[in-house]
Amino acid sequence: MQDPRQTAGYALDALLKAGADKAQCLLVQSDKHEMNVDSGELSLLRTTFDTRLALTALQAHRKGSSSGNKSDPESVDRAVAECVSIAQASQPDEANDIAGAQPREVFTTGADAPDLDRMHFRLQELLEAIRTRYPKALLRQAFLDFTRTKSYFVNSNGVDFETHKGVYHCFLMFSSRENGKVSSFNYTGFATRDLDRELISCGSLDTLLRQSGEQTTTRPMQGKFVGDLIITPDCLGDTLGFLVRSISDFAMISGTSIYKDSLGQEVASPRLTLHSRPVSDEICDGYFVTADGHAAASSTIVEEGVLKSFLLSLYGSRKTGKARAVNDGSAWVVDPGSTSLEDMVKSVKRGVLMARFSGGSPSINGDFSGVAKNSYLIEDGRIAYPLSETMVSGNFAEMLKSITAISSERVDYGEAILPWVAVSGVTISGK
Amino acid sequence: MSSLDLRTYSGLFTSYTELRVHENRNTNITFVKGNNTGNSRSVTGGVSARVYQNGSWGFSSSPDLGDHMVRSVVKVATDNAAFLDTRVNKGKGALPPTPASSHADFSTAKTRLTQRELVDFVKEIDGHIVEQYPSLSSRTIVLNCTDMEKTLLTSDGSYSHSLVPRSLIYVLLTVHKDGQPVDLYEVFGGRGQFEDVFSAPACLYEGIARQYQHLTNKADGVFASAGVKTCVLDAELAGILAHEAIGHTTEADIVMGGSVAGALLEKEVASPLVTLVDFAHTALGSTCPVPVYVDDEGTPAQDAVIIDRGILKTFLHNKESAVHYGVSPTGNARAYLFSDEPLIRMRNTAILPGTSRLEDMIASVDDGYYLIKPGNGQADSTSEFMFAVTLGYEIKGGKLGRAIKDTTISGVAYNMLKTVSMVSDDMKWMCSGMCGKKQPIPVGMGGPAIKCITSIGGR
Repeated sequence: MQDPRQTAGYALDALLKAGADKAQCLLVQSDKHEMNVDSGELSLLRTTFDTRLALTALQAHRKGSSSGNKSDPESVDRAVAECVSIAQASQPDEANDIAGAQPREVFTTGADAPDLDRMHFRLQELLEAIRTRYPKALLRQAFLDFTRTKSYFVNSNGVDFETHKGVYHCFLMFSSRENGKVSSFNYTGFATRDLDRELISCGSLDTLLRQSGEQTTTRPMQGKFVGDLIITPDCLGDTLGFLVRSISDFAMISGTSIYKDSLGQEVASPRLTLHSRPVSDEICDGYFVTADGHAAASSTIVEEGVLKSFLLSLYGSRKTGKARAVNDGSAWVVDPGSTSLEDMVKSVKRGVLMARFSGGSPSINGDFSGVAKNSYLIEDGRIAYPLSETMVSGNFAEMLKSITAISSERVDYGEAILPWVAVSGVTISGK
Repeated sequence: MSSLDLRTYSGLFTSYTELRVHENRNTNITFVKGNNTGNSRSVTGGVSARVYQNGSWGFSSSPDLGDHMVRSVVKVATDNAAFLDTRVNKGKGALPPTPASSHADFSTAKTRLTQRELVDFVKEIDGHIVEQYPSLSSRTIVLNCTDMEKTLLTSDGSYSHSLVPRSLIYVLLTVHKDGQPVDLYEVFGGRGQFEDVFSAPACLYEGIARQYQHLTNKADGVFASAGVKTCVLDAELAGILAHEAIGHTTEADIVMGGSVAGALLEKEVASPLVTLVDFAHTALGSTCPVPVYVDDEGTPAQDAVIIDRGILKTFLHNKESAVHYGVSPTGNARAYLFSDEPLIRMRNTAILPGTSRLEDMIASVDDGYYLIKPGNGQADSTSEFMFAVTLGYEIKGGKLGRAIKDTTISGVAYNMLKTVSMVSDDMKWMCSGMCGKKQPIPVGMGGPAIKCITSIGGR
């Protein structure tokens, strides 16, 4: 029973024989090959193999889930018995269900195996480029990995999906030092299908390393004012994250979402169009099957400011009576605007170019506050100086509506494609 | 977990090697507004090997504990170390041997509850909340139990076994005020398996009543006034300050990466009232929330006194950083999953209690804030920190005033700690948090209340 497809089928049959009315099984086999850099030097080569067996059983509308990382017959039998037992212990809920029948499909993306010599070459090239171009940089930690996954999703309604995926990921955390002064750390990452390009040219890495070198000497801003923010692509996730959480299962089912009745209504400036494109060619680290077993499709979440789709699972959809999303979110693509970043900066009288937000999770109504890290003060249309000890506060929901410009330039992270976004009406306070 | 005898594989070690069998077991039960949205168990485990060769490391892991796979992970890890060594050729010397032996098992001696009994436990709490607090617009209860079990063999003679569990119940309550949702969470529980930590649902009710009262106050709360203020940080915030803003800057790998602490050893970095320790397993006579007796490099874990009466005294080390700095390793190397390599991590980080009474500390503030409950927190290698505050009150004329809405405090820790003027005589531990640094890991944080000057966000 070593064939993973056979193992998944065996587990599904066993769940039904053990008393499940409906059942599903996800079996994922993965291997990761990761080169690590610590304190600027290659330090570790890591090779890991793993398995994930995730079972779901429904019995009289009661749902149980069990997962483990072993797929030998004894482990599968144990997991099956446990899964059905957990289902029997659950509270019944008529919203529990599994995905309906769909045509069998096999999805494939990326390489089959890592090119270790190429990984080593690209990583050494990156270290050399950083040493040469950014001598002040302190590379605290970095890794380049290749992860290959083979996934099998089957359920008792006849769903049968197979996915083969190989993708490289790169992550770096760094700061800079000059004359004994150290900048705030910053970090970034990206995904790529191949190693054809220099790593330093991927994502926002080159820009952030340059900025880090500028940030060894910072100044706190004096006083407090209400002004503009230009949010960089690296920082945009915090703003989008509030919206995404608010339209997903937990907030919608608990009734705490401020957007629960906003479908078809304006939730953002007409300048904002947000897509989730997990199966698009422009996203190399997407996915093909949703967590509840539907073939994923790309969708538009916000179109010209109007909320077009919630991000509800099959369960969330049944609990709320609203439509199920065609994907699980992420793989974000924001449409570019018509203004260059340079012109966006020129149009700011007083504000902050915010490259990293170190803040608390926003309140469920969108209120937030936090520190603008690796950020710059903008005065009279020009970047004045890098900031320290500067707090920004406002409301994400209001901020989405107060977008004044979106840049024509975007950064491609492989897993998302994002622009710079300018907003107004944010409280900015210094010392 | 498998009873595999790792010692039978010691003949495969050709260089410094760690061989670890490691399993994490998790139970999760969730009720959202009365809906049993989650009911699951998971087990993630396997074997890993890490090999050191002249300054280069190789690592490999597999979930399969069969004899051939154990041999294979040792071989792949050895080959990986050789692959890197031939390319980077660091030529570094051997790591210090730290032979140790330990057996620490915190599993319960009581009969384990079934999944149905656990579901009923959570359901009873949910029913109590519905009955007692009808004005709530939503409530969420999450039960989360984790057992982390490890057996480790190293080539320099360490052999250890540990099973460290923690059991937590999260309660999130929500009200709507003027159409806007306002929420507040509380965490109950700590180290131990469920049966040792929770005896009955009713044991939580007093805490939930306090949580509800605070939430009611918060719903009528005001924005904090943004700026620099005198604040009394209650124990939970002092704990997260110790962990995030100081502890991380003293992890030796962060120091090598440019942390501001690198230049501050033996210098005054805090008020003489501040002593801050990363405890290994026992603090002030009691077992810590996350006890570590032998770390994942086989080093006996020792307390690290980071700040002693205001003076920065030490960094946190693994074997390699200890060699770099010419000191002894402190036993701070920890891995989260079987497939993770050990990293320098904190264990139980706390500011030690002082001599002041909390009431006197509040009474001494003319215009400031009493900040009680943290949300998430982050800090920089410069020691600039940010902590979310989910519960706090104004202090006006030495008395508590209105509750405040969610806010954030920030500052430069090594400056802010110099403003500490009072430290309370009590102490509280938290162990619900997961620290993030490439891998997550459970940590303990603790402290007394401290009075200090810090920036607070608001309007």
